[in-house]
Amino acid sequence: MSSGDLKFYYFDLQARGELTRLILAAAGRSYEDIRFGFDKWPEYKPKMILGQAPVLELADGTQLPQSLTIARYVAREAGLAGSDNLESAKIDAVVDTQKDVNETYFSKVFPEKDETKKAEELKKFLDETVTKHVENLGKLKKAYSKDEKYFVGDKLSWADLFVFQSIQALLQAVPEVKGKFGEQFKPLMDAINGNENIKKYLDARPQTAF
Amino acid sequence: MPSYKLTYFNGRGRAEVSRLIFAVAGEKFEDVRYEMDQWPAHKAEMPLGQIPVLEVDGVKLPQSAAIARFLAKQFHLAGKDNFEQAKVDAVVDTIDDSFKGFVPTRFEKDEAKKEELTKKYFGEELPKHLQNLETLGKLYGNGGHFFVGNQLTWADLLFYTFAQAWIGVEADCLNNFSWLKKNRAEVEKQPKIAEYLKNRPQTQF
Repeated sequence: MSSGDLKFYYFDLQARGELTRLILAAAGRSYEDIRFGFDKWPEYKPKMILGQAPVLELADGTQLPQSLTIARYVAREAGLAGSDNLESAKIDAVVDTQKDVNETYFSKVFPEKDETKKAEELKKFLDETVTKHVENLGKLKKAYSKDEKYFVGDKLSWADLFVFQSIQALLQAVPEVKGKFGEQFKPLMDAINGNENIKKYLDARPQTAF
Repeated sequence: MPSYKLTYFNGRGRAEVSRLIFAVAGEKFEDVRYEMDQWPAHKAEMPLGQIPVLEVDGVKLPQSAAIARFLAKQFHLAGKDNFEQAKVDAVVDTIDDSFKGFVPTRFEKDEAKKEELTKKYFGEELPKHLQNLETLGKLYGNGGHFFVGNQLTWADLLFYTFAQAWIGVEADCLNNFSWLKKNRAEVEKQPKIAEYLKNRPQTQF
């Protein structure tokens, strides 16, 4: 499988691109990891299907937009999206739940320029949103997991990778969040950090601001 | 033979796409609807304290898109292979992006602010997303009127129901988007959908 048959276009950031890179790494799938700075974006924008990134491009030039659509597609190709329709749906439910929290952070906390207001929003996010979210993730895991480790069934899925990436990204942006996740996700984080393919990728990936 | 129970408010909202999927598929399901004052008593029964929830063979699924995608796949309305399903998902995500800015305009209590937000949404924000949706429909639709692959998928059903909400506020919002208008017309005339639309409860949202 040559890397010529799959191209992934995104900024030289983790943000909305990293989940797909992690899935491709877990799958051991080679691809062209095209990264650009903001200064180069005007060159790439007209070439992207909706003028947005990330974009996944197949060998025949067809493009897919939308970060979670891309992630789900590569996860399905790699067998990381559940073994039947109901498992895939449970995985989607976990993903959407994590997505809701990420969106809350990015719409309420991240863009706030006023320092006082930002601190207020952050406190609300930590005390209310994250607390509820950890509870919700725990409930979904209890309902869908077969092994106390992975979110759905008893094997790694892209839902696990999304939660892993989101927690890591949040810890980097907001170190105060550290204690809020407790011990319940430790077996998962350890399993992902210990996965040979993922470890190789994590050790080699470029360090970026976010 | 699985049994399906869909729980939501007595409204279209985020459950209607799933009801449309059942209708197109000709599949039976238990259509549980709560009025606003009934909901608090049932909130704790739901995995995340939210609705819609689909219960299938004893498993409870939250999250409206996860539910709709599951049902669409069960009934062959999701795209015929993995890549087609991804194109459908891309349209769905873009429809979702379009709808995000609409919700705050409905819940704003201050009348003057509400008018301002609504004007901005319909004047500036929504047209950009509608343009993107037309781009996807023309690229993925194989020259037909449906979003992906020349056949009805849940992306068409989702656009149909969310656009109804927009049209309810701003009747002309699709006037500059003839492809999207044709898409909705095509959905409406599917026999099972026409039948369902004629008979479904009329609700506020």
